[in-house]
Amino acid sequence: MKRKLSNWALFLIFLLGFFVLAACSDSETGQGDDQSDKKEEPSAEDPITLSFFSADGTEKEFNDPVAQKITEETGIKLELDYPVGGNDEAIPLMIASGDYPDLIFAKGDIGKLIEAGGVIKLDDLIEEKGENLKAMYGDQINRLRNSIEDPSIYTVGTYGVENAYWETSGTFQIQLDVLRELGYPEIKTLEDFEAALTEYYEKYPEIDGQKTIPLSLLGSDWRWLITVGDPAGFAAGLAGDGQWAVDDETGEATYKFLLPELKEYFKWLNGLNAKGLLDPESFTQTYDTYISKLSSGRVLSVADQNWDFADADKALVADGKEWRTYAPLPVTLGEGYKSQSLKNYGFSGGWGIAISSTSEYQEEAFEFLDWMASEEAQILVNWGIEGENYDIVDGKRVMQEDDRERMNNDKDYSKETGVGYYIYPFPQWGNGAVDSTGQPITPNSEEQIIENFNTAEKEVLEEYEMENWIDCFPSTEELGISKHGQAFNYTIPAGSDLQIIQQKADDLTEQRITQAILGDPADFDKAWDDMIAELEAMNISKANEEMTKMVQDTMELWGTNE
Amino acid sequence: MSRENNSASAQSNLPETSSPVERQIRIGSGITKNNKKPYTKSFWKRASKQKALLLMSIPFVIWLLVFKYIPIAGWVMAFQDYKPQFGFFEQEWVGWKHFKDLFNEPMFYTALENTLGMGILGLVFGTVSAIVFALLLNELRFLTLKKWTQTISYLPHFVSWVIVANIVITMLSQEGIFNNILVGLGIIDQPINYMAKPEMFWGIVTLSDVWKETGWNAIIYLAAMAGVDPQLYEAAKVDGASRIRQMWHITLPSIRAVIIVLLILNIGNLINIGFEKQMLLGNNIVMEKALVIDLYALDYGIGMFRYSFGTAIGIFKSVISVILILICNSVAKRIGEGRVF
Repeated sequence: MKRKLSNWALFLIFLLGFFVLAACSDSETGQGDDQSDKKEEPSAEDPITLSFFSADGTEKEFNDPVAQKITEETGIKLELDYPVGGNDEAIPLMIASGDYPDLIFAKGDIGKLIEAGGVIKLDDLIEEKGENLKAMYGDQINRLRNSIEDPSIYTVGTYGVENAYWETSGTFQIQLDVLRELGYPEIKTLEDFEAALTEYYEKYPEIDGQKTIPLSLLGSDWRWLITVGDPAGFAAGLAGDGQWAVDDETGEATYKFLLPELKEYFKWLNGLNAKGLLDPESFTQTYDTYISKLSSGRVLSVADQNWDFADADKALVADGKEWRTYAPLPVTLGEGYKSQSLKNYGFSGGWGIAISSTSEYQEEAFEFLDWMASEEAQILVNWGIEGENYDIVDGKRVMQEDDRERMNNDKDYSKETGVGYYIYPFPQWGNGAVDSTGQPITPNSEEQIIENFNTAEKEVLEEYEMENWIDCFPSTEELGISKHGQAFNYTIPAGSDLQIIQQKADDLTEQRITQAILGDPADFDKAWDDMIAELEAMNISKANEEMTKMVQDTMELWGTNE
Repeated sequence: MSRENNSASAQSNLPETSSPVERQIRIGSGITKNNKKPYTKSFWKRASKQKALLLMSIPFVIWLLVFKYIPIAGWVMAFQDYKPQFGFFEQEWVGWKHFKDLFNEPMFYTALENTLGMGILGLVFGTVSAIVFALLLNELRFLTLKKWTQTISYLPHFVSWVIVANIVITMLSQEGIFNNILVGLGIIDQPINYMAKPEMFWGIVTLSDVWKETGWNAIIYLAAMAGVDPQLYEAAKVDGASRIRQMWHITLPSIRAVIIVLLILNIGNLINIGFEKQMLLGNNIVMEKALVIDLYALDYGIGMFRYSFGTAIGIFKSVISVILILICNSVAKRIGEGRVF
């Protein structure tokens, strides 16, 4: 018996040895390649390759026409890196290994990089040679600063400077066909919304031979926050501060799920579920299933952001199902609440692209970022290449017809051509900005947006006697400019109580609220009270205090607190 | 495998083993009772005799040291408030703080319970299904069919969990094939949303694990069964034993040592069940049943930049593993069976 086991052991060792050898030889060839690459880099006529990690990136080569043009102008090539499967550990692992790419877009994890000394201060560089950046940010440059204790600038970019609000980013949206079928009703409250869904659902229990789904959410992964958490806040008239409800005057921050208004919203969802109006798979389906359901045109409404289901929208238009696309609605809990969809948050700062402390090409990387902020670069990344993507007619830029078409219907357009691909998260002008000749710097001027509506959208707008969807929302002027930006953009210190409590609270609320929504309506109140008790047990008030302090510090840093 | 070996393995199934082969091994490795004073000369003599073997093992010893022992030095991190930007000596020492945090955290106990729960279920069902499957395959006399079945059955092992999880979720969804069949046959009235039932989560994980790994795990048992001496079966047949009797009295006892060694190794890994299954199959509704220690360490350790906290969890896991292995091994020793060390 012993002998037989040792045969097995021998076999295993052999196998192991085989794998180890195979692995070794692999890594050796890998290293060899690296070395040869490095030798090529420094030569003058070849472009410098900068590695660029983007937390929002997708798999892509830097070789489309716009990218080639960028390389031509700057001598810089980017090597795009991205987190696989939306993992949160990319930045911590980067820090643990000390192996940084040249350029890093870390979103909320930038604080960890600053603390670890992984990124450099940009203040001096901006002062010395950041002409384009200075011109772009103007007096908003304070909003790039890190914190009261360390008011240096580490990042540039991400959000547009000088935004105009000609479109909403989404939230409650209903199929155009529902509006048409019901004779274009006014939908302003959750009650109206539900009534419209019920009526249409009773009339058409099936669409194209498949079961109609009145409302579908995607609550199985991080998008829970987008399709379940955020809409709750928007319905209660809160601005987009992530998991926080912030008083813009006093800077008082509250973990928003503690508020009674939010409970009301989830109670409504709970009711929808009990009445069979909520897709029972809302919290278990994968993103792909969700998009394919939406693309089939049988989902009557969503509570989602446009960017999250843009693929489905394009697929619907491509299939000729324009009437199955969605109209945004200013839905709130009731008359007393105002939809904040058109809120102007000012330039939010916070997130942005940083240059790593280990990069060999810090100067070059900065020059590249500065160039990206120039007028020339902004026109290139927004419009593409003259003669190929746009023409100049009567001194004005006009997108070519097929490019405009593809921009609206083809989800691969910007990936293939590069047009629009390099705007976010680089430094960018907003859609309200104009160039030196007075033309809008992005193709998304209001006229363009209106022109780009599909035929069904245009017809519905006409019925409502509106030019643009935003006409039925409370206007940007009415809502005022946010003094604190957006709380979800803040970099929360790593390992702080706020960070740990918020993570625990988020995990808890996602779970408990989901269970409460799917539960029996009779049990809802108890489930909610239990959750609040659990939140209090994990010392949520402490997180509220720390967040309030952060908001107030930000307002002081930005000089918006007077 | 030689005939002598086969008979040895058959004999060793008796509680007190003293086969000639085994005695020989003991003498060879110098642990027999009458060889108590080891002196250098014979050591070097033996070493030089076995130098080819020793040379062959060197790369693996080095591998073991580099990848398994040197990293243990990183454990000191658990007693510091580790910040990667500082050097080793600049770190702040915090003693048992991270362990205290860990043991005061209710979430950790949920994670521990889930880990052990799914670990034990996986171990029991995984082992039983693999052995039963191997037994059935072993009885197949039609060779082509046997080979085909074996190949097909272990193919799922090579499919990544990402894909398996998607298949499982799709099949178990409200409009999935599983509900369609059950509703069609009139067994249930309404489709059941399996993925939204926390009480079903452990079962779903275990079943998908069994589906994926049974074929693969059966290979080692099949190989052990192939080594059983055919004479034993012939003798049993002469005595009038049915095929079921033969399985029970010959096949199973012959592979008992393999089963026990694998069990000991797997029990040591009970707490290291990974997190892919739970992460990919789980969702917000079932999270309280899906949160496992590795997932917890990822989200609340590395994911939040708390390297020290993550390391503390790692140490805790290692300690549990070692304890489990020691217990199992001594139990195996006591009942006189094959053991790991």
